[in-house]
Parts: sequence; C-alpha cells; structure tokens
Amino acid sequence: MNLTLPRFFWSEYRKRRKRAALITFALFWGTLSILLLMAFGQGMTTQFKVAFSGLGRTLIMVYGGQTSLPFEGLPKGRPISLYPEDVDDLKDRIPEILRIAPESYSFLQVSANGKEINRTVHGTTAEFGLMRTQVPQMGGRFLNAADGAEGRKVAFIGWKVAADLFGNENPVGKAVVINRIPFTVIGVLQKKIQDSMYNGPDAEQVYLPFHAYRQIDNRRRINQIHIQPREASQSKLIEARVRTLLGRKYRFDPDDRYATSFWNTIEDAKEGQAIFKGIEIFLGIIGALTLLIGAVGVTNLMYAVAKERTKEIGVKLAIGARRRVIVGQFFLETVFVFAKGTFWGFITAFNVVHLIRLAPINYESFGIEAYLLRPEFSLRIFVAYTVVLGVLCFLSGIFPALRASRANPIESLRYE
Amino acid sequence: MIELQGITKVYRTGSQSLEALRGVSLNIGKGEFVSIMGPSGSGKSTLMNIIGCLDTPTAGEYVLDSSKVAGLTFDQLAAVRNRKIGFVFQNFNLLPYATAWENIELPMLFDGKNGRRRRERVTELLNAVGLLDWRDHRPTELSGGQQQRIALARALANDPPILLADEPTGNLDSKSGEEIMAILTELWREGRTIVMVTHNDHIAAHSERTIRLFDGQILP
Ligand SMILES: Nc1ncnc2c1ncn2[C@@H]1O[C@H](COP(=O)(O)OP(=O)(O)O)[C@@H](O)[C@H]1O
Ligand SMILES: [Mg+2]
Repeated sequence: MNLTLPRFFWSEYRKRRKRAALITFALFWGTLSILLLMAFGQGMTTQFKVAFSGLGRTLIMVYGGQTSLPFEGLPKGRPISLYPEDVDDLKDRIPEILRIAPESYSFLQVSANGKEINRTVHGTTAEFGLMRTQVPQMGGRFLNAADGAEGRKVAFIGWKVAADLFGNENPVGKAVVINRIPFTVIGVLQKKIQDSMYNGPDAEQVYLPFHAYRQIDNRRRINQIHIQPREASQSKLIEARVRTLLGRKYRFDPDDRYATSFWNTIEDAKEGQAIFKGIEIFLGIIGALTLLIGAVGVTNLMYAVAKERTKEIGVKLAIGARRRVIVGQFFLETVFVFAKGTFWGFITAFNVVHLIRLAPINYESFGIEAYLLRPEFSLRIFVAYTVVLGVLCFLSGIFPALRASRANPIESLRYE
Repeated sequence: MIELQGITKVYRTGSQSLEALRGVSLNIGKGEFVSIMGPSGSGKSTLMNIIGCLDTPTAGEYVLDSSKVAGLTFDQLAAVRNRKIGFVFQNFNLLPYATAWENIELPMLFDGKNGRRRRERVTELLNAVGLLDWRDHRPTELSGGQQQRIALARALANDPPILLADEPTGNLDSKSGEEIMAILTELWREGRTIVMVTHNDHIAAHSERTIRLFDGQILP
C-alpha cells in the first residue's frame, strides 16, 4: 500500500490545524458542558432519592391511639396500645406482609469512655434494619436474628453517637453502658442523607435487640410496628387488614381512624416518584436542548470551515485528484477532529466529576453540597451524545467535499 | 489530438440563460501551438475549461486522443487532467498553505508516484523554472511571475502531452510574461501540444496558428 497519501493528509491537516483548533475546542467545550450538566443533574436526582428513602423504602408504621367511635357497647375514648404479640399475629394472618418488626424506645443515658450522653434508645429486631436502610459501616453489622433469639446484649449505634462517645476510635467491639447494663457495639450506621424521620435522624439513635431492650425498659406495650409489604401496591390493603385484625382483638371499630394510626411512606413515595420522574424528564429535555444548541454550533462551524475549502478542492480536482482522495481527506479530518475534541471533553468531564466526588459532605446539616457534590458520570449519556453529534458533525464536515466531488471542477474553482 | 464538434455551452443563472459557445468546431493536432484570441466575454475561458475537462459542454462532441470525453467517469476525467493535460490559469490557483515544492509535487502524489521519483522530478522542474532556491516558500511570498512559473512547473509534473494556458501572462508584467512565453515555446519545441489564450498579439505571435473567437463562435 502506498502510504504517502495518508502522510500528505496528515501534513495538510497540521498546516490547517489552527483552523481545526477552533472546531476541536468547540467539540471539547460542548462535550464537557453537556457531560457535566447531565452528571450534576443525575447526581442531584440520585441524592434526592437517597434522601427521600432515608427512612426506608416502602414502609408502613402502625401506632396505637384512642378510640373515637363507640363499639359494641363500649364507649369512645378508650386508649389502644400495641403489644409484642401483635407482631406475630399480624405476620401470621396477613400474607401480604413481607417483613414486620416491633419498636420501643425511650430517652436514656448512654455512656462509654467516661462520657455520658442522652439519646433515644430503641429495641427492635433484625428485620427493622432491612426495612429502614440501616446500612452498617465497614467492619460492623446491624442486629441479626441470633442477637434476638439468644438475648445478646449488643448495640447498633448511629455514626453521630459513635463520634460523640468514641471520637475517631472504632467503637465496634467496645461497650456502651445503658442503665448500668453494658452492651457491646456491633456496628455503626453508615452516613446517609435523611429527610424524613421521627425522634431525630438515625445518626443519633441507639438500637438494641428487642429482648435485651426489655431489661432496661420493662413497659409491656410497644411504641410502634413497622411493616413492609411484599408489593408496594398492597399497602392500602394491608392497612385495612391490620385495622380489622387489631379491631377484632382490641375491640374497636375498624373504621375508627383514631384507634390506631398509620404512617404510610408508600403513599408519600408515590408523590416522590412523580417528582423524580418530573426531574428526570426535565433533565432529559435540558440535555436534548443543550445538545441541539451545541450540535447547531459545531456543525455550522464544521460546515463553514469545510465550505471554505471549496476552492482548494477545485484546485486539487483540476490537477487530477480522484473523488476518493478528496472525500477521504475530509472524512479522515472530520473523524480525527471529532475524536480529538470529544476525547478531551470526555477525559476532562470524567476527571472533574470524580474530583468533585472526592469532596467531603457534611451529613449533619442538610447542606446544598450533598446535592451538588455527588455528580454521576454516565457512560450511556456520553455514548448517546457521541452518536448524535458524531453523525451530525460527520455529515456537515464531509458534505461540502461530497458535493464538490459530484460537480465539474470548474464549479469549485470559481468559489471565492 | 483535440477534436471539437459543434460545442455549445449555455449558462443558466436564474431565469436568464446565456450562450457562451455556439457550435464551436475545432481540430488541434499533436504538437501544434495554437493561440486563442478574442474580446473579453467571447467564450475563450469557457472553451479552455471544456478542452481541459474542467467543465462539460451543453451540446456537441469532444474527442480527446480518440476517446469521447462525454463517456468518461469522474475518476477517468481526473486521470486525464492528471496525466494528459497540464492547465495553467490566469490567477495561478496554487494552494496557499503549501510550499512551492508541495504544490509541484501534488499531481505526482495523486498519480501514486513514489517519493524518490517525485523528489527528482520536482527538483528538475524547479531548476527548469529557475526557482530551486524558493522551494520552501509559500505562494504569498512569491511574485506573480514566480507564482506562474511554479504553476507551470506543477502543470508539467506528470509530463502531460497537452498544455493549456488561459491568459498565463494576463496578470504579469511584460518581463515575467516574456519569461513564461520563453518556457512555453521551449516546451512546444520539445513536442508538446500547446493551447494558449491571450489578448496580446505580440504574445500570440509565438504560436503557429491563431483562432479568433467572437461572441461564442470561431471567426473564419
Ligand atoms: N459560470 C458562469 N455563469 C454564467 N455566465 C458565465 C459563467 N462563466 C462565464 N459566463 C459568461 O459566458 C461568457 C463567456 O465567458 P468567458 O468564457 O469567461 O469569456 P472570456 O474568457 O472570453 O472572457 C461571458 O458572457 C460570461 O459572462
Ligand atoms: Mg477568460
């Protein structure tokens, strides 16, 4: 193969590279801005979602209450409490329930390392951790079934509690003392954003196995029951069945809204889903519009620069260049310039995103940085962008050459 | 060698149409030196472009070297322009970003000649036009006469049997013009077929035969 023609193309490209630099820069800039825009948008949406699901993904919480309707001769105004057995009863009778856990809590003194703090201490079971996104930091775990069954005196603590009591030390394996009973720390909650809560953020809580908890708080009744349905769509049905079952057991009208109360995050989540969908569609539209503006700019420039070379094409045709020489040269140059510009745009965006992600986030305050400092780089978006812009650039870069090589050389020679 | 029969060229611009050539018939034999004269707008350049395979006639037949030009493909025409015909323009038409050397080398590159042959030929041609010292200069750094000599060297790169020159001295001072004419005359003596457009009787006097065009037709 005769390599001199490609070498000639390369030397011509190098001579014209000041002109090409403009296009390369436009491509670089367009790639960078669109990738960053999408990365920040995507990152923000994800953080919104994380914050939204900080309490737990699909969860129904049941509380006791006070009857507001007379029932079978009983007066209204009777208090209704929940008891540990209710958990088993509900689980047995309602097959739509996937997970269920009791929870009791009280505000108690927690001490360790010679420090004393007052925090809400909870008694619950392993299933609670699965329902409430209690993700442990490395080297630790949440309560498990054996902790409950064997009556182990262990504790899972929020990361703020860990910091307050142990500073920078790893608390796992050390003891915290509650009501003079020592509990071994088995895990620390991983940092997360949480925008819905009760009793303060999870970061401030202490969790004990339900039976161990009873040793420091001997009230029979429990504060609430957490239920996770098998299917989110069954949440309303489960609510009704819980009301009916408990109504039969504690003798209140199943339609009594105040005998028990529910916090149904699934119903909240439906609203959230709509918001996220909305944000995603909005982002998509912004992305598409940015792409459009970028594409118009870049293709216009590409076309203009290629068009400018019509006379040059005419001269080459006049001295005997074949069609494939002309078209091949524009083809290679377009591909090269496009690859160069988008490559550097890609590299820069990728590094900017990953550098920004290194920035620490203060999870104690609901700072805006939690939403801004976690951009997500998406290869999918890059590929889609490259394909769309690539095709447009390719066409606009090669079109003038293609047209010139279909007409008489004199047409191109006359071009000024 | 060059046989034109009833060549007509109509330019259409919008609703207007202009007959630049009206039935031109012409034979130019191998090794002839023909000059074409005529007032501005008489169709001289149009005729030269058709002869040079840069443009196609609206009607009529052009036979070059016993093959019908109308039957040739785009790339076959490119090969004709590359090897058979050297074209010299009034405005030189050199590539502005390329050096004198590169401009001359280009037709050989398109012909696939190897590097050594190209180097030898470019050196030879630069010597012949007396511009070897200017090999690395771009057209803008050269005078009009020098640019036209580079353009002439480029036209000769693949040693074509036919040389077409459309007012090659039109943009030059008389001294540079004479230099170009001296080279053209020399090339003709070597056996090349030369067709040249000019306004100048003095320049036309270098040729064997003069064809006069008027209003798209050849005057008898
Ligand atoms: N591309 C074109 N479009 C329209 N008219 C043209 C074009 N080229 C030349 N003409 C017209 O054709 C006629 C002949 O032009 P041309 O061959 O350039 O004449 P000459 O070279 O003898 O001065 C002129 O009237 C000119 O205006
Ligand atoms: Mg003319």
